[in-house]
Amino acid sequence: MSILGIVFSYSERENLRELTRLRTIASLPMAGKYRIIDFLISNFVNDDIYDIAVIARDNYHSLMDHLGAGMEWDLIRKRGGLRVLTPYAKSESGRDGLYRGSVEALSNNMHSFRRSMGDLVIMAEASILYSIDFNHLAKTHLNSNADITAVYTKQLNGHPTVPMGVAVMHFNENNRLYDLNINKDDMSAQDVCWSIGVFVIKKSLLMSLVADAMAFGKYDFLEDIIKRLSNRLDIQGYEYKGHLLEVSSVAGYMKANMNFLNANFRNRAFHRPIYTKSKDSVPARYCKGCCVKNSIISDGCRIEGTVINSVISRNVFIGKDSIVKNSVIMQNTEIMQGVSLDNVILDKDVIVRENRQLSGHETYPVVVEKASII
Amino acid sequence: MICGQKKEMIAMLLAGGQGSRLGILTQDVAKPAVPFGGKYRIIDFPLSNCTNSGIDTIGVLTQYRPLELNAHIGSGQPWDLDRLYGGVFILPPYMGGKGGEWYSGTANAIYQNMNFIDLYNPQYVLILSGDHVYKMNYDLMLDFHKHKNADCTIAVIKVPWEEASRFGVMNADEDSRIFEFEEKPQEPKSNLASMGVYIFRWKKLKEYLIKDEEDENSDNDFGKNLIPQMLKACEKLYAYEFKGYWKDVGTIASLWEANMDILDPNVPIELDDPPWRIYSRSSNMPPQYIGENAVLSNSSIADGCNVEGKVENSILFPGVTVGKDAVVSNSILMPGVSVSEDALIEYAIVAENARICKSARVGEWKKPEIGKQHREITVIGGSVTIGERAVVPAGTTIDESIIEEVGE
Repeated sequence: MSILGIVFSYSERENLRELTRLRTIASLPMAGKYRIIDFLISNFVNDDIYDIAVIARDNYHSLMDHLGAGMEWDLIRKRGGLRVLTPYAKSESGRDGLYRGSVEALSNNMHSFRRSMGDLVIMAEASILYSIDFNHLAKTHLNSNADITAVYTKQLNGHPTVPMGVAVMHFNENNRLYDLNINKDDMSAQDVCWSIGVFVIKKSLLMSLVADAMAFGKYDFLEDIIKRLSNRLDIQGYEYKGHLLEVSSVAGYMKANMNFLNANFRNRAFHRPIYTKSKDSVPARYCKGCCVKNSIISDGCRIEGTVINSVISRNVFIGKDSIVKNSVIMQNTEIMQGVSLDNVILDKDVIVRENRQLSGHETYPVVVEKASII
Repeated sequence: MICGQKKEMIAMLLAGGQGSRLGILTQDVAKPAVPFGGKYRIIDFPLSNCTNSGIDTIGVLTQYRPLELNAHIGSGQPWDLDRLYGGVFILPPYMGGKGGEWYSGTANAIYQNMNFIDLYNPQYVLILSGDHVYKMNYDLMLDFHKHKNADCTIAVIKVPWEEASRFGVMNADEDSRIFEFEEKPQEPKSNLASMGVYIFRWKKLKEYLIKDEEDENSDNDFGKNLIPQMLKACEKLYAYEFKGYWKDVGTIASLWEANMDILDPNVPIELDDPPWRIYSRSSNMPPQYIGENAVLSNSSIADGCNVEGKVENSILFPGVTVGKDAVVSNSILMPGVSVSEDALIEYAIVAENARICKSARVGEWKKPEIGKQHREITVIGGSVTIGERAVVPAGTTIDESIIEEVGE
């Protein structure tokens, strides 16, 4: 059975403020040198799935720039490979504007899925990071004879609540889904099964379900296919028991990055290679008088000052007598001398001039927009 | 059929040498594949120079231990050398209908691949070697070559007079025309050393390669035979002076020094140079993690490293771990080296995947000898294990694991 991976590069439920103003969530930098989508695509590739379609909706410029033809992920393939599916300005229905929902997004790209040699589809979305065995998932799906397998998790790695906007799923004693509702408030995480956005379904079934839903003007995959058809379709649950990171708020994004400072987490996350766009930067340079504690530093950095509990992306300069604490610094940022940053997220290409001081809080980090000069 | 689009100039990179003076570092790899500068291999420099100079067709002549070199070059993609017409080709010695032979010398290696060059029918051929570290625009050298209407242009660099006798020295007139070439002269008449970078008119080179091959007494070497022959015949040979950083990394001491040059802001080898990047194959490792107790100073650290100890004036290649309370100073740790807690490494080159166990002491300097300023470099071979509390005296070379404690 060959598998087609479909990745939604955007998320309906995220609220990442300035961070996603100019980019889609999938291309948000993570853990220094990566983008969120690297973890998902590397997961597919590490499981020998080399046929991947990425559905883009809006602000996909940085995503396209990052993925290119998929070379770094070994996805320039004659059979399969990577396709980034951007929306048509004028769709078949003659309607312009954003997709009205995930079903329409699937429907408008059906021509590409049809052409794929994969007959089983694994759908995933980019706002949750995990490391899952897709082959085991596919095998379980086939063995269970289910129409759809929905992946859920029960715990949330330190989060006391179920994230906003995810689907809470209810299964009966036969592990069959009978109801679903979208989480609208801070629900306690205990014993709740919530979707990590991964579904397994035969391609032919997906195609007919999507066509049906479109005919009835139903556009949401969760509400209009999973929930509405749960009495007709055998939708089985599959529990994901590993660690995951959820990125839908700025604080969540910060926390996700900070997780990588934990050795156990890092060893698990990088147990298999994570591929990303190569930048040909030089190795990081640590100058005389620098001080670095408990931090992730990427190549191309030049550190003259102090960095504590922070995640630093590629080609960042941190000047003398500057202190960067509890912060996430994205690539090509220049922090001059005598600067003090605490709980700050600096987006790409930011310049922080001499002696500036910025300080946020763990629950509400200061976000500095791309290419700002402070 | 191979489609050989006509090229103005193609490069032939001599990468078959063992580099025996590097000792155990080239036991399993050819010298051009020796790691250099924190994430590179020596061959990345000439390859990147070619790409940055607009040369897109390169033949790499391999002979000694080519496995790592072949794997490193692969399709040539990291250097942008995976091209529809041209790109990078690995050219090992081969068998033909009437037998075959090893490359007997640098000129013979090119001689045996004349049909490769003819495929691209170039006007000029650039001959490079894979054992130097430098950033050079070969296109400017080609302009000079054309301007002088030369048959051969040899890149030269001014070296200190006292070192000139270690090199092939060019004696040229004020028009840069070479009238004499001396290989390692006792009393050099000039301090212009050959960098081992030549541009030839292909027609002329071919003529001399064939002549040289017919001469049974020839060693088939560019410096020893071919260039002197051309001089004897009064061909137009010119010296092109290169001004910039250039280092032969043929010995342990020079390899160590050239690596340390990267850390010295006063040495003009800036690798962080976006218009003239040095490309290499990516290690696909996570970013480095610097721990709570790490102390870092004047060092270059690559992806995948995990540093908990003290690192000063050192270069750490991808995937190196330095444990708590360990001290690494003035050393080069090649990819995958692990240094356990409380170990000490000073003035050393530690080759790939070597393990330095807890409290081992490598290259420790006990009593500085009076009048002896120069510090000997300690070398630990690839995949060697230095056991707990073992002591490796300064200046030694270790190619077998030491498990037990070694006496003082």
